[in-house]
Amino acid sequence: MTEPAVLAEPPFRVPRDRADLQLFLQAALTLEHLTIPPYLTAMYSLRPGRNRPASHIIRSVVLEEMLHMTLVANLLSAVGGEALVADSRFVSSYPAVLPFSKEKVPVALRHFGPEALETFLYIERPAYVAEPPGHPSVGEDDGWTSVGQFYATLRAGVLRLSAELGERELFCGDPARQVGPADFYDSGGEVFAVTDLASALKALRVVTEQGEGADGTVFDSDEELFGETRQPAHYFRFDEIRRERAYGPYDTPAGGPSGPDIAVAWQDAYPLDPGAKVAHYPPGSAVRRAADRFNEVYARLLCVLQAAFTGTPAVLRAAVPTMLELRALSERLHRNPHPDPARRAAGLHASPTYEVTERHFERARAELALRE
Amino acid sequence: MDPHDPVPPPECPGFVDVSVRLTGFDEFTLRGTGLVRLYHDTTVEQVGRAAVGRFLDDLAAAGGDPGGLTDEVSRDIARAITHLWYLGVWPQLSRSVHAALGREKPNTAFTVSPEAYTEGLVWQTFHGHPPGAKAPGFGTWADPPPGAPAPARRTGEDAR
Amino acid sequence: MTAGPARPATPRYDVVVVGAGLAGSLVAKRLGDRGWRVLVLEAGTRTLDSWPGHLDALDTAHAALAKVPNAPYRRNPAAPFPDVLDLTGLPDGGYRADGYFLQNGPLPYGSDHLRATGGTALHWMGLAPRMHPDDFHVRRAYGYGRDWPLAYDDLEPHYRAAERELGVAGDADEQRDAIGLPFPPGYGYPMHKIPRSYLDSVIAARLDGVRLREAPDAPETTLRVVTTPHARNSTPNPGYDSGRGHRPRGAVGTPNYGERCVGHAFCVPICPVQAKYTPLKTQATWSDDVTLVAHAVVSRVLTAGNGRVLGVEYQRYDDPASPAHTTRTAEADLVVLAAHAVENAKLLLLSGLADASGQVGRNLMDHPVLLTWGLLDHPAGPFRGPGSTSGLECFRTGPARRDRAPFRVEIGNWGWSWPAGSPSGDVSRLLGITGDPSQPRGKGLFGARLRRELGHFVGRQFSFQFAFEQDAESRNRVTVDPRHRDRLGIPRPVLTYDLSDHVKRGIASAKAVSDQLFRLLGAEDHTAYAPGTSAPGWFRHGDGAFEFKGAGHAAGTHVMGASRADSVVDPWQRCWDHPNLYAVGCGSMPSVGTSNPSLTMAALTLRSCERMHRDLTELHRPAALRLPEGRP
Repeated sequence: MTEPAVLAEPPFRVPRDRADLQLFLQAALTLEHLTIPPYLTAMYSLRPGRNRPASHIIRSVVLEEMLHMTLVANLLSAVGGEALVADSRFVSSYPAVLPFSKEKVPVALRHFGPEALETFLYIERPAYVAEPPGHPSVGEDDGWTSVGQFYATLRAGVLRLSAELGERELFCGDPARQVGPADFYDSGGEVFAVTDLASALKALRVVTEQGEGADGTVFDSDEELFGETRQPAHYFRFDEIRRERAYGPYDTPAGGPSGPDIAVAWQDAYPLDPGAKVAHYPPGSAVRRAADRFNEVYARLLCVLQAAFTGTPAVLRAAVPTMLELRALSERLHRNPHPDPARRAAGLHASPTYEVTERHFERARAELALRE
Repeated sequence: MDPHDPVPPPECPGFVDVSVRLTGFDEFTLRGTGLVRLYHDTTVEQVGRAAVGRFLDDLAAAGGDPGGLTDEVSRDIARAITHLWYLGVWPQLSRSVHAALGREKPNTAFTVSPEAYTEGLVWQTFHGHPPGAKAPGFGTWADPPPGAPAPARRTGEDAR
Repeated sequence: MTAGPARPATPRYDVVVVGAGLAGSLVAKRLGDRGWRVLVLEAGTRTLDSWPGHLDALDTAHAALAKVPNAPYRRNPAAPFPDVLDLTGLPDGGYRADGYFLQNGPLPYGSDHLRATGGTALHWMGLAPRMHPDDFHVRRAYGYGRDWPLAYDDLEPHYRAAERELGVAGDADEQRDAIGLPFPPGYGYPMHKIPRSYLDSVIAARLDGVRLREAPDAPETTLRVVTTPHARNSTPNPGYDSGRGHRPRGAVGTPNYGERCVGHAFCVPICPVQAKYTPLKTQATWSDDVTLVAHAVVSRVLTAGNGRVLGVEYQRYDDPASPAHTTRTAEADLVVLAAHAVENAKLLLLSGLADASGQVGRNLMDHPVLLTWGLLDHPAGPFRGPGSTSGLECFRTGPARRDRAPFRVEIGNWGWSWPAGSPSGDVSRLLGITGDPSQPRGKGLFGARLRRELGHFVGRQFSFQFAFEQDAESRNRVTVDPRHRDRLGIPRPVLTYDLSDHVKRGIASAKAVSDQLFRLLGAEDHTAYAPGTSAPGWFRHGDGAFEFKGAGHAAGTHVMGASRADSVVDPWQRCWDHPNLYAVGCGSMPSVGTSNPSLTMAALTLRSCERMHRDLTELHRPAALRLPEGRP
């Protein structure tokens, strides 16, 4: 397997000016996106009609990750920044090292199974320590220790700059650039405009609490924030699959789930090569064409998001059809045996590689222009 | 298959090859349904190995062109396998073929599985999706389907 | 709870609601929210309000050979319901009816309903147009049918309440301009209208503004394609409710799932993502004062002898497959029948109640539907989006109503699925598979030719659905026959149904309009009506032959009126003969206009809830100690 990709991390400090904050938010956007391809790969690797509860759980998490991306983009616009999404630098190659964490955990595109679950749990793991840099408990030269700590730092930066510059001055972005509930709503919360300190802090709260849970509990804060039924945070939803048991209303992180059984058929997924690359598929083969097409459609998705996050929120509507197109392409690939004889001999199937290059973006832009 | 070849071929290669000829869809698309094994097994179970064998021989004799099948039993098997791929439904066989095969099961049509319906090929023939599955997303029905002109715009049309 | 020698088997409630469908769920919601103790008795099962139940229904529908409205829902011998597949056409016309309904009319009643929590509205299309103001007084204005004791204006605020409860997506300005529907100034629907289909846009481009005569001597009508309001999640209208906006409601039975319509094109029989309103969404918001008991088939309304009703008798079963059941009763101050037009009538007849006028079970109506179908000259994008997103509204009212039934024209987005069973029928035909296995089969097409031919053919399909107003006729009726009983021993409904000449003239006019539409569109008309197995509704009229289908819009069976002499319920849907017995739903409608009736039923029900609340309040007012007044 190739050496895991390492994502650039912002400096280990509380953001001290607007440019710094924008840098942090762009990093957050990249981080939120990093998780989406592995989740999609696992979800679409399930055999048709099998493992419905697990599929439902992963789907709910993916949709909330999309929500998080959008909220972070709103926050970035609100402080006068511009999200960068439709760019080959935005899409990491896989496997990648999970940024902001001490342990160098590789995040790979794996089929549904215990290994994928372990990675997911690591990504969403609650951070119980993690004071921001500069806190007496944190040494000067310590690096980032967790995603939770990174978000805590972002929050501290927003608070600090709001106090230093004044709220109105900090949130100087054009409100017309904000993506709102009319443009995107779905299960698990809704998108809201970020226009001031309160909405900025709420956005950060959604991002962290849907992932890790609120205040050391199993559950997120959707009930309080959106008036929706609360549900276990991402970490605990994945934990439900791993333990094949749902969390009940009185369960705690320490006690583990005690709710009803969840049937998981671990073998009912197409085995995939976690290091799959387009180059492994013979040129001219149907699998190669499909994998290439997938990357192009993924580039189109990112172009749509780019436009939605930087001035035309209404085009976000086109993201869902594109996601569904990706699902069809992905499922079709997974159900085909790997065209490489050795990998096929190992029982592996084809899979999308998420290698989105500038060439794909060019083609995607041309395709979008044609549709205008 | 060469017994010394360590690489197993993909699942049911012969059945897929025949299905490509019957359906007009390529191997990648057929395998992309995830239903090759189920359809192969359904066919064998419904008409028996012997009839499948005769059907393959007849097809080979017709140069691989299902349109050239002259034996009515083989032709009805060709219809049934194609029907299965296009709709996910094993059809009723013609009464005479049902009798000729000496089938000991009722001659009734049935959907092989819920997923078989959603993987039917017929929807792809016109760039559609099976109703109730693979939905294309909010508002997509307003766009021209592939090959159709943009509708002439008139006043007061959908702004959204 | 009271102490003492109470009968524990007979719990007491403020209200017993019979049926957990659209009307019953709204009644329970409104009265439960006001603190009344409500018992809802549902004859069917309640598996559908759970997520596994929903997925099972979806799987069942996917595996069904015919995706008919009841395809997802499991047969229940303890609470049987009709299916559109129960009817078979005979070779030379005429029909045979199997299944739950016994039928003895000249023409078949071709609609089904569903007995399960959520009721028939689980498989409704979700179209939510209002009725036209003219529809409320057809006898006075046009000389046919029956008049409402209410006018559009009486119902208008309740239409708004229903649009809120159901979450309707629509364009009020367009409805006002194109149809003449009155709305309060500045009113907007909770959600923006559902985008019209590509097909709608093509048809609009070719028809909008065109003037047409339905007969050579008839006045001109100007065509206009108009977007239909839907009870389906769309883009929320931020300006709704004085700027408070509207939050769409998600799926039932699983947290935080459900979204706006993603175009599954499966509203009938079941919306996979629950973007479409169903009564289960209302049930999910019932207060704790509402108790739902399923597997409870009400067999009789119990009376005190003084006109007032005491409660209901019901048959409780555990296993739907077993005939075993126990008889129980429930008592309440108010009994509300909300079991569906046919079931409400059946219950009143079985109880011998509310029939001083002799009208119980009579005036059975539906929206008879005429389908026409053809091919566009280029791909039409069939089988995408909701079943219909727009229609032609210009034949809904006007002086022509004197001569023929009015109609609404729905543009059908789902190819020829309803008229011809497409695309399965097309696949079979091209493969040479005939409907009758004893007939010799055609050679058939295979491979690339088959694929190309299907794409070219199915991809251009579209249809029109003409839905007619059926006039109330006392001869069209529901009766019960004690010789024919269901599994629990309850007599089954007997339906006597026909179409009036007024309706048949409407059908003939609509066909003439359709012929012109196809010509104007430059489309290939493939419409043909022939008797046979799949055409139980085939009939001759004048020189022509037609085939109609049922719309699933049963109405009229406990008709509302201004006088107890000739109607079953008063303007509050309260039985004239029984001051604490309500019969709610489409069964109360004296006329149905051309609008899909669910929204009007919801509005009417919400209006009645106010009266029910007042009735209950009066009963509980200490000063209103009731002395015997000798009331009937």
